[in-house]
Amino acid sequence: MSSPSSLLPLEHLHPALWRAHQLGRGREAVQPSGYAALDAQLPGGGWPQRAITELLLTHAGWGEIRLLAPALARVGAAGRGVLLLGPPAEPCAEALAQLGLDLSRCVVVRGDDLLWPLEQALRSGQVGAVIAWAPASLKGEALRRLQLAAQSHEGPAFVVRAESAAAHPSPAPLRLALAGAGPDALAVRLLKRRGPALEDPVLLALPPVLSRTARQRALTPRRTRTSVQAWSALA
Amino acid sequence: MLWIGIHLPALSLESFIATLAPEPAGEHEAGEDPDDIDRMHDNVGPVALIDRHRVVAANAAARECGVRRGQKRATALGLAPHTRVGEADAARDEAALMAVAHVAMGFTPSVSLGGDHVVLAEVHASLRYFGGLPRLLQRLRAELAPLGHALHLACAPTAQGAQWMATGGERTDLARTKAEWRARVGAVPVTRMAAAAPHLATLESLGLATAAHLWKQPRAGLTRRFGGQLLADIDRALGDLADPRPMLQPAPTFDSRLELFMRADDSAALLTGAAVLLNRLTAWALARHGLVGGFELRLHHESRRRMLDDPSARTTVLEIGLGEPVSDTAHLHSLLRERLQRLPLAASVIEMSLHCHAITPGAPPNTELFPSAASVGEGWHRLLERFEARLGAHNIQRLQPVADHRPERATALRPGTDTTALCARGPGTPLDLTAPGGPAASASPDPAHWPRIKRPVWLLRQPQPLREQAGTPLLGGQPLWLVAGPERIEAGWWDGGYSARDYFIAQDNDGALLWVYRFRRAPEVGEAGWYLQGRFG
Repeated sequence: MSSPSSLLPLEHLHPALWRAHQLGRGREAVQPSGYAALDAQLPGGGWPQRAITELLLTHAGWGEIRLLAPALARVGAAGRGVLLLGPPAEPCAEALAQLGLDLSRCVVVRGDDLLWPLEQALRSGQVGAVIAWAPASLKGEALRRLQLAAQSHEGPAFVVRAESAAAHPSPAPLRLALAGAGPDALAVRLLKRRGPALEDPVLLALPPVLSRTARQRALTPRRTRTSVQAWSALA
Repeated sequence: MLWIGIHLPALSLESFIATLAPEPAGEHEAGEDPDDIDRMHDNVGPVALIDRHRVVAANAAARECGVRRGQKRATALGLAPHTRVGEADAARDEAALMAVAHVAMGFTPSVSLGGDHVVLAEVHASLRYFGGLPRLLQRLRAELAPLGHALHLACAPTAQGAQWMATGGERTDLARTKAEWRARVGAVPVTRMAAAAPHLATLESLGLATAAHLWKQPRAGLTRRFGGQLLADIDRALGDLADPRPMLQPAPTFDSRLELFMRADDSAALLTGAAVLLNRLTAWALARHGLVGGFELRLHHESRRRMLDDPSARTTVLEIGLGEPVSDTAHLHSLLRERLQRLPLAASVIEMSLHCHAITPGAPPNTELFPSAASVGEGWHRLLERFEARLGAHNIQRLQPVADHRPERATALRPGTDTTALCARGPGTPLDLTAPGGPAASASPDPAHWPRIKRPVWLLRQPQPLREQAGTPLLGGQPLWLVAGPERIEAGWWDGGYSARDYFIAQDNDGALLWVYRFRRAPEVGEAGWYLQGRFG
C-alpha cells in the first residue's frame, strides 16, 4: 500500500470504477461455461453477465442443468446465490450437490407470476446466477424489460424457453438451442450471438450419467442412427 | 456538561398530520432548514388543531386563509371550509415525542424530557465518539429527519438553559465564557419560563421582562410573591444550583399505535400510516442499540354489525419476521408494502398499532463503497425476504439432501429465508455425497470426466405410469431403451412407506436419458408395470 496513487490508475482498482471523463468501460465480464468447445464459440469466452441468455429446448431433461453446472458451481464457490425460478419438476438435492452446486446458496422460487421475482432478482444485483423457466406466454416486451433489468445483474442469467420461441425475435444477445446428441452428449446450436453465425452445432460431452459399458450399450448402431435423425431434424 | 435541547415547535400539528392520508409527514425532509417550519406541511392543505373548541395550531395553508390561534372552530371552518380540523391529543403528542427521545438515546444514555415538547440530551461523554459537536449535531439531524418534525436545536452547559434556548429557536453555538452564558440566560424572556406562567400579568406590570430583570431584584421579595421555583430555575440555568434529571429508559418492547383520521381502504393509505410507525420502531431500535428481527402490525377495522359476533375479525394481524435483523426503515417498509398489497381487507382500517419484541443487540453494518462478501450476503437475504413477503413462505424453498434412498424422500424443502446452516447427513449415511464444493472444485476441469451422476436432476412429483409393449416401456408412443440397471431401492419397511423398486436408466428415441422403475413384485391386473420417475436434466 506504499505506492503513491499516481502510479496506480484509479480505474484499475475495481472493475466498477471509472473516471468521469471516461466512458463506462463496459468490460464484458463473462462466466466461463466450463466447456472449452463452447467457450471458444461464445463471445468473450463464456456465459455473458449483465445480459439474458436464452436456452431453447423441446422439453426438460436434455442435460441443461449439467450444461450449466460448472458455471453454477463457480458462482456458489464465490459465495453468491443461485436462484431457480419455476423449475419444470422437483429438483433433486443429491444430484445438484453432485454437480457441484452449493445447496445452502441455492433457492427455488415457485409461484404463478414469476416475472416479478425474476425482474427483482436481476435488478437487485445481489444474485450470483438466475435460471428461469419461462412460461409459454412470455412476451417479447417482458423479455425487453428483463434484458434491461439484467444490466445490473452481475452474473449469468438464463431463461429457458420452449423451442418454438426460436421463430420469434428476442432482445437477448445470446440464444442457444439445446438438443440431445446421444447419451451424455448435448448439441448446442447458437441461434444468435454477437459475432458471425455458426452453422454447425457445438457437440459437448456432459458430466456422465452412464458408466462406460452402459454408454457403449447406448451407442449401438440403432441408437446412433436415431440421434443422427434428431440432429438433422434440428438443422 | 453539554446539553442539547431538541425543541419541536409544531409537534402537535405534525403528529396530527401524520394520521392524515395521503401525504405523510414522514416523507418530507425536515431538519434541512429548521426555521421553515411550515414548508413541509404545505401539500396537505389547510389543517388546524382544536383544543376545547379553540384553534391552538394551524399550518401555513390554514393561516393564509385567515385561521388564527384562539378562533372558534366554527370561525375557522367559515374562513377555510376545507380545513381538516383535529382534536389536540396529548397522548399522540407524547408518542411522537418519545420517538424523538429514542433517537437521542442512540447518541447518549442521558436523555430526559423537558416540558413544552423539548427533549434534553447530555452529550458531553459522546462527543469524541461521534467526532465533535458539529458532526454529532449533523448525525442527530439526519437520524431525526425521517420522523418529519421541524426542529430547534440548542446547545447549553445546563439542562434548564438548553430548555430555554431551544424553545427560543435554533442556537447551537456554545457560550465561551461564563459571563457570555450569563448574558444569554439574562436575555431569556419570562414568557419562556414555565414557573412564570401563572404570574405573567403581574410580572409585566412590574416591568420584569427577562431573567436579568428578575435576578436584579431582591430574592426574598420575589420568592414571597412568585414562589421559589422561578428563581431556582434561573439558578439551575446559570449552573448555580444542582439540576438532577430523571433519565429515560427505552421500553423493553415496542408498542405504538396510530389512530387514522380518515378510514383507510387501500394499501397506499395504510402504508403512509405504517411508515410513521416504522420510523418510530427504528428510532426505538436505535435507542436499544439493536436490530429489528421482526414485528407485528395490527390493523383495527371499523366495526360493523356482522363483526360484533366475532371480535377477532375486527383486527387483522400481520406478522413480519426477518431472516437477518436490520435497522433499515426502507427495507422494513418494502417488506410491509409487499405484504399489504396482497392482503385483502375485511373492512376499512381506523387504527393501526405496531408491536415488536424481537430485537437483536448489535451494531448496524457499516456502509461500504464497494460491495463486499458480507454486503452481498445481506442483499441476498433481503431479496429472499421480499420474495417471501410477496409470494408466501411456501413458494421460497431451499433444498436439503436427506439420508433416504427413496427419491421422493431424499430431498427436503425448507423455507428460503431459514438461514440456519443446512445440517449434515447423519451417521449411517447410505449414499455418499460428494464433498462440499463438488466435482467442479475437486475433480478434473473437464466436466466430461466428472464422477458419474447417480440421480436425475428432475424428479416428477408423481411417478408417471408408462404403457408397455412386449416388456418394453413406452413414452409418448415411442419405446424406451434400457441402458443401465437395475438398481434396486428397497426401503421404508420401518416407517410405513415401504417400497421395493428396480430402477433403470432409459434412453428415448431422441437420446434423452430418463429414470424409470418397475416394482419388484409383479404388477397387479390393470396396474402399470413401468413408471417414469425423473429426467436427467
